[in-house]
Amino acid sequence: MRKRLIVTPERCVNCRSCEVACSFTHAGEANKPAVTRIRVYTFSEERNVPVTCLQCEEAACMTVCPTGALSRNPETLAVDYNEEKCIRCKSCVYACPFGNCHFDAAYLHIAKCDLCGGDPACARFCPSGALVFDTQPPKGEINREDAPKIRMKFTLPVP
Amino acid sequence: MRMIIDGRVVTAEKGRTILEVARENGFDIPSLCYHAGVESWGGCRLCLVEISKTSRPDRSELVVSCIYEAEDGLSIKTASPKVIEARRDVLEMLMARAPESAVVRELGYKYGIIETAYVKRENADKCIMCGICTRVCEVMGPAAITLAGRGGERVVTPPYGEAEDCIGCLACAQSCPTGAIEFSETPDERSIWGRTFKRMRCKLCNAPMLPKEQVNFVANKSGLSPLYFEVCDSCRKKQSAKTFARLVS
Amino acid sequence: MPISSQNELQTRRSAAEKSFRSARRRVMICAGTGCVANGALEVYDELLKAITDAGLPVIVELNSHDDKKKPKAHDYLAKSGCHGFCQIGPLLHIMPDDILYCRVKTRDVAEIVAETLTKGAVIEKLLYKDPNSKERRKGRADIPFYAGQTRIALKRCGEIDPESLNAYLADGGFAALEKALFEMTPEKVVKEVEDSGIRGRGGAGFPAGRKWRTCIEAAGDVRYVICNGDEGDPGAFMDRSIMEGDPYAVLEGLMLTAYAVGAKQGYIYVRHEYPLAVQRLTKAIAVLHTEGLLGKNILGSGFDFDIQINRGGGAFVCGESTALMRSIEGKVGEPRAKYVRSVVRGLFDKPTVLNNVETLVCIPGIVKDGGKTFKKIGTKNSSGTKAFSLVGKVKNTGLVEVPMGTSLRKIIFELGGGIIKDRPFKAVQTGGPSGGCLPSSKLDLAVDFDSLTAAGSMMGSGGMIVMDDRTCMVDVARYFIEFLVGESCGKCNPCREGLKQMLAILTRICKGNGVPEDIARIERLCDTLENASLCALGKSAANPVRSTLQYFKDEYEAHINEKRCPGGVCRELIRFDITDKCIGCTACAKQCPTAAITGERKKLHVIDQEKCIRCGSCVTACPSDAIDIT
Repeated sequence: MRKRLIVTPERCVNCRSCEVACSFTHAGEANKPAVTRIRVYTFSEERNVPVTCLQCEEAACMTVCPTGALSRNPETLAVDYNEEKCIRCKSCVYACPFGNCHFDAAYLHIAKCDLCGGDPACARFCPSGALVFDTQPPKGEINREDAPKIRMKFTLPVP
Repeated sequence: MRMIIDGRVVTAEKGRTILEVARENGFDIPSLCYHAGVESWGGCRLCLVEISKTSRPDRSELVVSCIYEAEDGLSIKTASPKVIEARRDVLEMLMARAPESAVVRELGYKYGIIETAYVKRENADKCIMCGICTRVCEVMGPAAITLAGRGGERVVTPPYGEAEDCIGCLACAQSCPTGAIEFSETPDERSIWGRTFKRMRCKLCNAPMLPKEQVNFVANKSGLSPLYFEVCDSCRKKQSAKTFARLVS
Repeated sequence: MPISSQNELQTRRSAAEKSFRSARRRVMICAGTGCVANGALEVYDELLKAITDAGLPVIVELNSHDDKKKPKAHDYLAKSGCHGFCQIGPLLHIMPDDILYCRVKTRDVAEIVAETLTKGAVIEKLLYKDPNSKERRKGRADIPFYAGQTRIALKRCGEIDPESLNAYLADGGFAALEKALFEMTPEKVVKEVEDSGIRGRGGAGFPAGRKWRTCIEAAGDVRYVICNGDEGDPGAFMDRSIMEGDPYAVLEGLMLTAYAVGAKQGYIYVRHEYPLAVQRLTKAIAVLHTEGLLGKNILGSGFDFDIQINRGGGAFVCGESTALMRSIEGKVGEPRAKYVRSVVRGLFDKPTVLNNVETLVCIPGIVKDGGKTFKKIGTKNSSGTKAFSLVGKVKNTGLVEVPMGTSLRKIIFELGGGIIKDRPFKAVQTGGPSGGCLPSSKLDLAVDFDSLTAAGSMMGSGGMIVMDDRTCMVDVARYFIEFLVGESCGKCNPCREGLKQMLAILTRICKGNGVPEDIARIERLCDTLENASLCALGKSAANPVRSTLQYFKDEYEAHINEKRCPGGVCRELIRFDITDKCIGCTACAKQCPTAAITGERKKLHVIDQEKCIRCGSCVTACPSDAIDIT
């Protein structure tokens, strides 16, 4: 069975490790929060929801892209972004109903989640199991207080 | 299939061009009119390589690698003396055509040209007539700009100077390798090809977005409703979060 | 009633043949573009009126049906296609007597009717006067310009009425098509063309049979055939004359090609500047439609074929086959890289065979008489004949067709009559802007595709420009580059930018501002053009420059090092002086636009060098050749 990025908002403890991991993986530095493809939103009821690209089966971004810069990866089933083919028309940014294509004004390209090619960094660093890259969702509850201990177990990859 | 590039064996699939295969394998072949998102044109001639078939090693020819497709048993030289000479001369010509272009100058330096000995073009802009902008506009849909005129008189222009079909997407200007297309973008509007396009604003946060003309065109072409394009990506993402929050409560 | 079977065609042909043979005399008035411009149509109208008024029986069209009646003695008067000797038009040719009248005006008509047509007397003053012997020559057989020719492609030009299907049939027209449709398989037709060894007469000289063979082996059901009538080379007008003078043969050639390669649709691309050719071809196609020889189930053979005419928009580059196809597709005429040949993927991405007009017009003969017959003429690797447009400083200007292997000397001095005013021969330029200049040391070259290429020139489409000693070879190179600068499509850098830079250097040299490094720079540009250009326009642009550098390097050096123009052409470098041959006729002073010449009647005149702009009017005006150019 193919692995998918499974998001379980109930487990999210708002530590934002996913955002740090994502921006580091794509920009090479941790100080660029704007580059992150995944973002956690907090609501008044203490609900934390991480949102990233849903790799839609009928992707609006793919439909509007005129050059095929957005295409389906047959292995990961993600919608991959090919920067070489992109003409920067930004149609995808405004076509995505979930707002998951961003235009990176610093690097002048589209920022969207491609599951890191099959080993998503966000899932690797999520301490609470809110983000899991697997065939099955995780089992068991987790406390916010335990989260920092679990996070310390992981080290950032050397670029 | 197998080919030999600069002495190294590489594998290639049918339908790939020499340029794609070479670049994927780490070989440096320059180009100025090549853009992966649009049709190859073969006009700048910088991506020339010297090829011969292993069955006839005595006969070689120069071909443009962005168009020539991979063949089994092809032997390719990306930097033979003939290729370098041709590239150098073309770059020297381009430096005379667009003396203000830093991109061309830097590529020229790389090939050992400090100053061009050719006659510089009068009132030269940075356009190197690569045609990428027109092909981008074609693939985008409107085909609002074209290459008009012949030879040295050739210019990139909307037909008869009137950019009726332009949708203000700025893809042409952003794809231009030398930045030759003039345009401006403020939070309120975009200006290009003698036209001004008012930008739509995000219904929720008022952030500037695409011009209405581009939205209408893209919606029409893709079949998506224009309603898709009314809210910016950040607000959309937040909206998605709200929706998911409600789903799991 | 359309002709719907082979039998009906043969019946129709016999009627036309009988009608043709029944005429006592045939009077053909040249109505090619050149002669028409000179008033040939008025001559025809006047002649027809005069003949009718004189009560002489005359027909102007051949019969379509045999009326079985014995005709009384009559003449056949018609407008024909280009006779080829355009210099002495309007031409009037009477056969079988073989009387050729030149420079015929409407005022000559009365005498022609009264003397020649009524009494059979020859009018001396209308005959051709040999420029060398000064003798009057009666007919083509006595005129070296014609007698030295072997007319195969130009066979019917000047012999038949191009607007008459019956005239074409009377000469055996469509017999080749009949043979192909009913006695030969398509593959057999290809084999005959292969056996003939015919090479493309448009410029590249590619073996036509091999082209057709590759097409039939290409994948796909839909194929196209195209006739390239773009003829862009300056000075070339063979294809024009053929399209105007023998349109049915062009169509038959295209039909045979279509049958051989399996095409149902054909195109003829005619350059914009040939309205008469378009008119004649359009009429011929319309007639063939009416007669059932184009369309569905031609002659009941099951062969469907139709032809469309496309007019060019005035671009030399559209003579290049891939640019031509894009033009037909409705796109801008730009060539593409030919790594996949057009015979595999051409017009609308389908296998397409494109051939030149002159090549196509030879096909019916090859199919009818067999390829081996065609191969008997010419040289080992260049079979058949070639039509050349012999122009420039030669006494007899016009179209000549000679077997491959004929020497340049024979063409220029025997058929051409030598150089005007018997000035020294300097060079002959063959092949148009893609060709090169050959000096007098090459006059005995046996002209064929390979010998010209080996000498540094090219056959091209057959243009042959003869140059005398008052020609500047650097200026010649500059002229061709200037032409190409205007015609470059602009797609690739070496051509668009390189030709511009080449022109700048050559112009500078001609103006006396050349530097020694220019030669090396020119040679380098030639290399880049040859190696890096996208299409043959750019690739062959180097030829005129390279060949003049090869054979006339001294002229370049004179311009650069001595600021001198040996040919006496480059204005900034020459001066005009009046010698003691001057007879004081004041003709030069009268012509001079800047009043630079002074002198009394019968006394030596003098040119004020300050005022002289070196326009050359005085040289043209001087009757005693007293003005020296140095």
